[in-house]
Amino acid sequence: MKRKMAAMAMTAALVLGTLAGCGKTENAQPETKEEETVADDASGEAAEETETAKEPQSGEEKTITIWAWDDNFNVAVMKEAANVYAQSNPDANVNVDVVSLSKEDVYVKLQTALAGGGSGLPDIVLLEDYVSGKYLNTFPGSFADLTEKFDFSQFLSFKVDAVTQDGKTYAVPFDTGATALYYRLDLVEQAGYTEEDMQDLTWDEFIEIGKTVTEKTGVQMIVEIANNKTTLVRAMMQSCGLWYFDKDGNINIKDNEALKSAFDIIVRMKEAGILYEAESTEGRAGALNNGTVVSVVNAPWFISSIRQAEDQSGLWRAARIPRIAELDSSINASNVGGSSWYVLEKSEVKDEAIAFLQGVWEGNTDFYDTIMLNQGAMGSYIPGYDTGVYDEEDEFFGGQKLNGLFAEILPDVIPVNFGGYVAEANDAITTALANLFEGKVTIDEALEQAEAQLANQLGR
Amino acid sequence: MKRTKKAGPNYDRYGWIFISAAFLLYLIFTIYPAVESLMLAFQSLEGGEYIFVGLKNFKRMFGDAIFLQSLKNTFLYMVLQVPVMLIMALVIAVMLNSSFLKFKGFFRTSIFLPCVTSLVAYSILFKMMFSLDGIINQALMHLGILDAPYQFLQNSGWARAVIVIAMLWRWTGYNVIFYLSALQNIPKETFEAAKVDGANAVQTFFRVTVPQLKPIVLLTAIMSTNGTLQLFDETMNITQGGPANSTLTVSHYIYNQSFVYAPNFGYASAISYMVVFIMIILAIIQFSVAGKEG
Amino acid sequence: MVKEKIMRTAKRVILHLFLLAAVLISIFPFYWMLSGATNSSVNITGGAMWFGSNLKENWSNLQGTANVFLIFWNTIKTTLIYTFLAILICAMAGYGFEKYRSKGKNVVYAMFLLSMMIPFSAQMIPLFKMASKANMLDSHVAIILPTIAMPFLVFFFRQSFQSYPTELIEAARVDGANEFRIFFQLVMRPMKSTFAAAAIYAFMKQWNNYLWPLIVIQSNEKKTFTLLLSSLSSAYYVDYGQLMLAIVLATLPIIIVFLTMQKQFVEGIVGTSK
Repeated sequence: MKRKMAAMAMTAALVLGTLAGCGKTENAQPETKEEETVADDASGEAAEETETAKEPQSGEEKTITIWAWDDNFNVAVMKEAANVYAQSNPDANVNVDVVSLSKEDVYVKLQTALAGGGSGLPDIVLLEDYVSGKYLNTFPGSFADLTEKFDFSQFLSFKVDAVTQDGKTYAVPFDTGATALYYRLDLVEQAGYTEEDMQDLTWDEFIEIGKTVTEKTGVQMIVEIANNKTTLVRAMMQSCGLWYFDKDGNINIKDNEALKSAFDIIVRMKEAGILYEAESTEGRAGALNNGTVVSVVNAPWFISSIRQAEDQSGLWRAARIPRIAELDSSINASNVGGSSWYVLEKSEVKDEAIAFLQGVWEGNTDFYDTIMLNQGAMGSYIPGYDTGVYDEEDEFFGGQKLNGLFAEILPDVIPVNFGGYVAEANDAITTALANLFEGKVTIDEALEQAEAQLANQLGR
Repeated sequence: MKRTKKAGPNYDRYGWIFISAAFLLYLIFTIYPAVESLMLAFQSLEGGEYIFVGLKNFKRMFGDAIFLQSLKNTFLYMVLQVPVMLIMALVIAVMLNSSFLKFKGFFRTSIFLPCVTSLVAYSILFKMMFSLDGIINQALMHLGILDAPYQFLQNSGWARAVIVIAMLWRWTGYNVIFYLSALQNIPKETFEAAKVDGANAVQTFFRVTVPQLKPIVLLTAIMSTNGTLQLFDETMNITQGGPANSTLTVSHYIYNQSFVYAPNFGYASAISYMVVFIMIILAIIQFSVAGKEG
Repeated sequence: MVKEKIMRTAKRVILHLFLLAAVLISIFPFYWMLSGATNSSVNITGGAMWFGSNLKENWSNLQGTANVFLIFWNTIKTTLIYTFLAILICAMAGYGFEKYRSKGKNVVYAMFLLSMMIPFSAQMIPLFKMASKANMLDSHVAIILPTIAMPFLVFFFRQSFQSYPTELIEAARVDGANEFRIFFQLVMRPMKSTFAAAAIYAFMKQWNNYLWPLIVIQSNEKKTFTLLLSSLSSAYYVDYGQLMLAIVLATLPIIIVFLTMQKQFVEGIVGTSK
């Protein structure tokens, strides 16, 4: 029995020892970070530079913490930005720490920290443009006003509009969700159509082509996620310059012509048997990579999912998205998503963070080229579009100048006011569409329901 | 059991000492936040400031169709899933406790496995299994039950069924373990005595096993009811609450109100306390039912 | 006699077959996860069910994304400390409530049970405020502390101690043993299976703990597995091969713990059969 007691005491001591060790790891932390910086640096020279720059005044070194949400995309881009900044500003003496989270996790953490009094926040955070209004309205004064700090005329206007409120701009635009129609040319050709036939379509023409393609090849024309069909809806809506809310922020659903047409088009696609409803994002990726679907409408970042199917190299093409025929306002360009960098007002290194963003995200077209090539990130900085990368031919897309296509689409995108309640509106639309698909309601009833649900949610 | 007051004057104090650590942590980390969040239920976040709004958040619930729907869904899960799961768990536990079962360790571990499988993994798998070209559709078509693939996750009834199946799969084995450890506390002689009396397996199950397991059954029932009320992971990851909110649970809705929509912590808090209130009533019912039977 | 024997054998075969079916259903997703870890992303979304040859690449991708060893260590460390403290403190409390009953304690106990029902998301913001005021953000202590006093475990222990004969405790008192010795040396020993069950429960709770670590942990260096899985599974392009491998790594420890504890279960039977 005594031995038992001794063993227990030992375990206790061990555990307490480790617990005390928690504090120690904190001290060890800067070391780990330095190592990481070294590992991240492409050239050994740059690494040395950072190291030596740090040595003498390590007491003054400041860390800029950034939250972003995709290791292969915006996290990688920001790490690249950190390297570029370290090389071009060896005296800045800042260390950039990019914390990788999931997008949902960024929101959970940010909202808790802002509601919980404002500590535990990052210095820079990446937010989707769709949530811009929500944060600026709910937590006024939490984000730094960058209006005077950047020349925003050099950025795409619809991107700047999305992060501007009451004449003040609160974020540096990052990537755009310029939408394209990605499709399998080989399948389209099997049905007797050419690349020419896929340009500047209306959705009616698209459905007609889809019917033939599905009939002749047995492959359904377009994929959308079953419980979240709002990608198509949003793309169609913004192609007319309309949104769930009007310019003043009032709900605009039941009398929204673009929404009505979008619902109608989606239902017609389903009725024609050309709509593949994937159960989830996994199902969508699977359908595309397995060749069980011909096309998809999405943003530039979606290309990396398509590229996974190496055996389909050369078979894909991209085109402008179709427009809504019955609405004159509808154009062959739209946008889904996109995000921007915000600086937190209460950040202890606010000035350094702004300087860092200025140093890389404004003026450095080489940087934009690099992230375009390495991460496929479509920046919002207009001078960045004049460079050679946009003439690059993409093997996977049969030598098409893919980047050039986006550079062409982007200036056409019509700005809309996203408002503060995009998530609520998406949910209302998703519910309405589900009811519509189950045959419970007509299009007009579905839209009325959605408007009522949203109004109820917003307490209006 | 109640004649334990023999240990002298310090007796009661020792009891408090045993409880003290837990009690202290509990006061700091549960009671204090709980009280603060109760206050939050009477407030609303407007323009970055919390303002007192009285009972507005509570009143809002009754006119909130989505909340009412989520409450209905949650009860549906509770009524469908909890009893089925507990009965299945009990049967499997008794089987695993059979004296002549070979490879006990293998069986126990395998049956326990689902609840340690990562949620991310199994929700992806369930989505894939029930998808259009998934294994379930393929099997049903192969057997001639279906002519064309069926979209399970887009029919409100089936989507709920998938959630229930997923939960049964994940949590049955977990309850088996609790039953099993309780079964092992029943003295072997009790079973042998029943055997001598000529009771068959079914009779032994109802006359010996079930009464002996009553406390643990009550425990798991409360635990599962509570688990269902807090159900969130499955609906979030498998159906995202759809189609048309038909799988949305109260906890999922609380999460949406807090983190997906424009932050509405006051309202979320009010809903939370509504759940607590409902849960207390259910627990009282469960206890009194259990009490009557015994 | 022969007929009886056949009947008995048949029963046993049926029992084994039934359980085997349950096992197959139980472990299929786990098998799929293992095979997924060796497949490429495209193969997984394409419905591959057999082992592939992509394990090495998945591993190097995963290492490229995150410091897996550090994350593993963080998770193991927090979980072990948590499990030890939680079962110790909750067992003591359960024992205190059960064997030293008094009105005051019953009130406290009722409070414990009641709070079990408050959804965690409702307590999160006040808890976060506390953690930030106490300067505990981004520390493992902050992950561990708030949930140590787990009402469910207290409840579970109290229930279990009911079966421990009070007469034995009284006898020990007569022999002059002090209250703590009685608990640690006399009472704890035969309750092995109870402690094993509680340990599994606590271990799993902490190992899979997601929302709270997400809120308090700020840096990559302090991350735990659930946070890694979350960020891996929601990228624009999800590499399912890499994700599956991470999931396998995140799941193995729990299985190992269970396999170890499972022995304790068996020993527990021998110990408690009274």
